[in-house]
Formats: sequence, C-alpha cells, structure tokens
Amino acid sequence: MTQRNSQELDPFVERLASLFLREGGCPYGEGGKASPEPTILSLIALLAAGSYEDKANSLIPWILKHQTENGSIGINPMNYGWGTWLSAHFAVFCHHYRLRSHLENAMRFLQSFRSVTLPRDPKAKQDNSIVGWPWVPGTFGWVEPTAWAVIAFNLCGMEQNPRALEGRRFLLDRCIPSGGWNYGNAELNDRELLPFWDTTALALLALQGTAEEKRLSLSLELLEKNQDKINSLLGTAWTLLALKVYSRDTGRLRPKLISVMQTLNDNDFNAAHYAIGIIALSGKKVLTP
Amino acid sequence: MNRRQFIKGTAFLLNSSLIGSLPRSRPAESYPVTLLPMASYEIDLSREIASAISEDGLAVKGKRVILKPNFVEVHPGRPINTHIQVIANVAEACLKLGASAVIVGEASGHRRDPWFSVLNPDLRAVLDKRVKCVDLNHGDAVRVANRGKRTGLSSFYIAEPVMRGDILISLPKLKTHHWMGVTLSLKNLFGVLPGIYYGWPKNLLHFRGIDNSILDLAETIKVHYTVIDGVVGMEGDGPIMGRAKRVGALVMSPFSLAADATAARLMGFDPARIPYLAMAGRFMPGLNGSHVSFRGENPKRFAMRFDCRDEFKSMRGGPFW
Repeated sequence: MTQRNSQELDPFVERLASLFLREGGCPYGEGGKASPEPTILSLIALLAAGSYEDKANSLIPWILKHQTENGSIGINPMNYGWGTWLSAHFAVFCHHYRLRSHLENAMRFLQSFRSVTLPRDPKAKQDNSIVGWPWVPGTFGWVEPTAWAVIAFNLCGMEQNPRALEGRRFLLDRCIPSGGWNYGNAELNDRELLPFWDTTALALLALQGTAEEKRLSLSLELLEKNQDKINSLLGTAWTLLALKVYSRDTGRLRPKLISVMQTLNDNDFNAAHYAIGIIALSGKKVLTP
Repeated sequence: MNRRQFIKGTAFLLNSSLIGSLPRSRPAESYPVTLLPMASYEIDLSREIASAISEDGLAVKGKRVILKPNFVEVHPGRPINTHIQVIANVAEACLKLGASAVIVGEASGHRRDPWFSVLNPDLRAVLDKRVKCVDLNHGDAVRVANRGKRTGLSSFYIAEPVMRGDILISLPKLKTHHWMGVTLSLKNLFGVLPGIYYGWPKNLLHFRGIDNSILDLAETIKVHYTVIDGVVGMEGDGPIMGRAKRVGALVMSPFSLAADATAARLMGFDPARIPYLAMAGRFMPGLNGSHVSFRGENPKRFAMRFDCRDEFKSMRGGPFW
C-alpha cells in the first residue's frame, strides 16, 4: 500500500465509500447491488488515494470470491460468463494489492481470451486479422477492452508477451489518422470516425513507453487542445490521466474534474466513473509501469 | 390539418379520469398511426402528443413511464440522435396525462460516457424537473428469457429500470442504416441492453445477426407506444455518417411495427422488402399498409425519397399513398 496521498481527496473517498455495502462490494449507484466493476475500480482508487486499508478490506474478500476457476471475473456475480472483459481490470487490482495467485490466474485467462478475427472489410481500412480483446467472448476486438488488457500486461512486466505486442499493434491499427481513437474503427467508407476522449486516453495509457512517440503525438495534441471542450467526469478523468503520464499540460483539467465531482448529484452518481476520477486526481501512475 | 383542428379532434379525452380505461373498439386489422406535423423542434407539441396517446387508449395515469430515445453517438451537427425537444415534449405529455414517474433511459450503443446521452446538460435543461434520467449502460440488470430464439441466446439481460417501468415508450430517430436499410423503433430496443453486459458496441448482437437480434428483442420486450422523431431524419450512410433530411413529422402509434412500416414508407422504402420488418410482420401487426388507419396529417404530405447506400436501393418502393 502507498502512503496517504492527500487530504484533498478525503471527501471524494468518503463519498465513494459511502456506497460500499456491509455485505461487501460496491454498486454502481445508491440502492444497487454490489457489482465487480465499481468494486475493482474503487479498490484501485483507494490505493491511489493513499492508505485506506479499512475501506479496502471490506471490498477485497467480496471481489476475490468471484474469480472463477479459469481466472476470469465477470460483470455478473450470478452468471460469470458475462462481462469477462473485466478480468483485465481485476488483474490491475491484483497487481497493486500483490495478490500473486489471483493475478497469475487472471493473466492466464487474459492470454487465452481472444477476439475473433474477420476477413478484410472494404468499408474499413483496418486490419481485421489482428487479435485484440473483445467485450464478449466470441466477438470482435475493441479499443477499450484491448487497452485495459495491454495495461494489465504492461503493469505485470509482461509487455513483451506476444498477446501484449499484438494488442499494441491492434491499438495502433485502430488509431484515427488525424489523431485519437473511436470505440473501434478508425475509418468507415473512407471517412474518419470521431475520436472519443475516454478511448483515446485509454489507448494512450496502454501505449505509453512502448509505441513510437510520433504516431501518438497527434492523439496527445487532440486531447491537449480540446481540454476546454471535455466536460464529463469520465472524459476529464481519463484525459487528465493520459496527459499527465505523457507530461503534457493538464492545468485546466484538474480544477474542472474537482468541480464536476463536487457538483455531481446522487441520481447521476456512478461509482465506477467516480473511482476513475479519484485515480486521476491522485496523480498516482497506477495504470502505467 | 392545423394544430387547433388536431387538438379539437382528440383532446376530449385529455384530463379525463377515464383516460386509458375506455374500451377500444377498432375494426379488425386496423392499426392507428398518427402523423403529427412538427415543422421545427422549437414548437411545443406536448398537448397534441398527449391527445394522440389518449386517443390510442394508452393508460398513463399513475404509471411509471420509461422513455427510450436513441442516443447512439454524438457528432456535432449530425442528426444522429432523437432530438431533445422531442423527448421533452413526450415527457411533458406523459406528465400531463398523470404519469406517476417519467424516466428517460438509454444504454448508448457506442459511447460509454453518459455525458453524451442521459447526463447531457442540454437534455437536462429542457426536461421538466420531475423527469429523471437514467444511464441504462451501468447498473443492475434483469435476466429475461428470450422469447424469439433466433439468435440462439437463451436470455437477455435488460436494464432494471426498464423492467421496473409500467410503460415503455420508444423514441427512435428516423434514419437509414448501413447494415439494415433503416433503423426505427424495433432497432431502438438494442438500447435497453446494458453495455456492461453487451459492450460498446453491442457486438454480440451483430454476431448473432442484427436482424435476428431485433426480432428476438421485439418478441421479448413489450413496447407500449412509439414516437418516431421524423422532424429531421438521416439519409445516405446512416445511422452515424449520413446527411440530414427534413420530413417535418412525428410518427406515433401503439403498434411499433405499424409506426416503423409507416416511417419506412415515408422514407421511400417498401417495408415488405426490408427483411427484418417483413419478418416482424409474421408475429406483429402493422406491416401491411392497408391495415393502417391514419390520424392527423395525410401521409402523402410527408412522403419522400431518402437517399441510401446502393445495396439498399432494391428495398425502395412506392408511391404508397
């Protein structure tokens, strides 16, 4: 565990922790059932925010008991086959909490969890033969689950693993020529798709330190120059995380993120997104080696 | 028909304690579709919408109503999503009709960040303060047996707020679709499936066949009413990269397929040539145009020819009226 980060984060951590359930786990929002994604991201946020062992201890047993024999973890504790994309997030958590056997099992699953490849589609210029990670078993690969899986490999010192190398190739292949990432395709019918802030930042985090800087510069500039247009909790948090890792200007993002998190009403509260906000505000590099 | 005439014809049911409880007598195989002129999004049509819903016999009073717009993805300047004023108008109509709760819910298909759908400040600004917005992508879900079985999926996980609602009103956008020809109310049901289960996009449904998935969902989930935003639709390379096409009407019906088939005809497509609509016609009423009874405007007024990708030109037909 790292040392306590900053008292500035206390109110945010307290608000997040107010959702933790007595029986374990964290729901997405008030009144919901405990769910693996907000639980895992809360655990990573608690670590990033400093030493909040007491709060983390109420979540850890709950999440660990949901890891399946094949190492995966799903979105639904009652039906493990769904949402196994979350296994990458789980691996990141296990890495930081030094849960070696759980981590090894999760990484073994991630190595076996492959997206489907497809023949080349004339509508899109991308290389559909590159294997990434899907949201759902038996389907195509997409930017977000692939970026999270590559992040898990990087953190575990497995960045040279063939799956990690191919995952980075996948992300570079899906990069929009003028910068940034959409959720999946870069172009369709000879037209560039719109870059999204969250997927662009995630891909940049996954590629940090491993890809050619020149290929990433347009994407970094895209986030940097659009700081004033990014207003959501999720977009601001991810952009702050990515730009900070690349030592780019983030001056306008931090106060904006604090303001967004402070003014978020209970009805709109999403614990998973809020946890990413705390991770971003902490300044800790928990998603890069 | 002008606005005053429309209200005069239908408003007698408004604010009546009998709203929704009147027995509906309808000739066999007659499925009502209301075409409500809406020249601009600035016009307040909540009274007319309430009148049409009442006339169609939908009992809203005391009910928990879920409004399901289409917020698949945001591109500045492109008419991809259901316009916020249409959502606001329908929400206001439901409040006028005595709904106990009105909830706008969407599981955006491409964007994980709910700021681009139900959290968007522009949407919040136009909605009555009593209306709640819920992100259906994140949160609890209910497993429901798949009544269609075309996809091979035994069940669907449906966002819990949808399952807790009494009435589901679908508010799609009138658009062409680069895989399906058109996207309307039936396709809009993809947006009740949480992204945390199905991903962004809901690629599992693509792999199981988009048409199969549309049909399975249509058999599994009851849509009580449809209001299609055809004020400004999308032609060409829809549902994201197409061009704006002004039609100037809302297409409303308690029968989803009747609304979709009518909307397809307004776009210049023969719904019987659009495979998934034709297949839906085997178990849902409203595909056959001769079985549709129109209220409001004559459909001729809005009929046009939407540009589309070459592979869908064989689906064109008409004139229908």
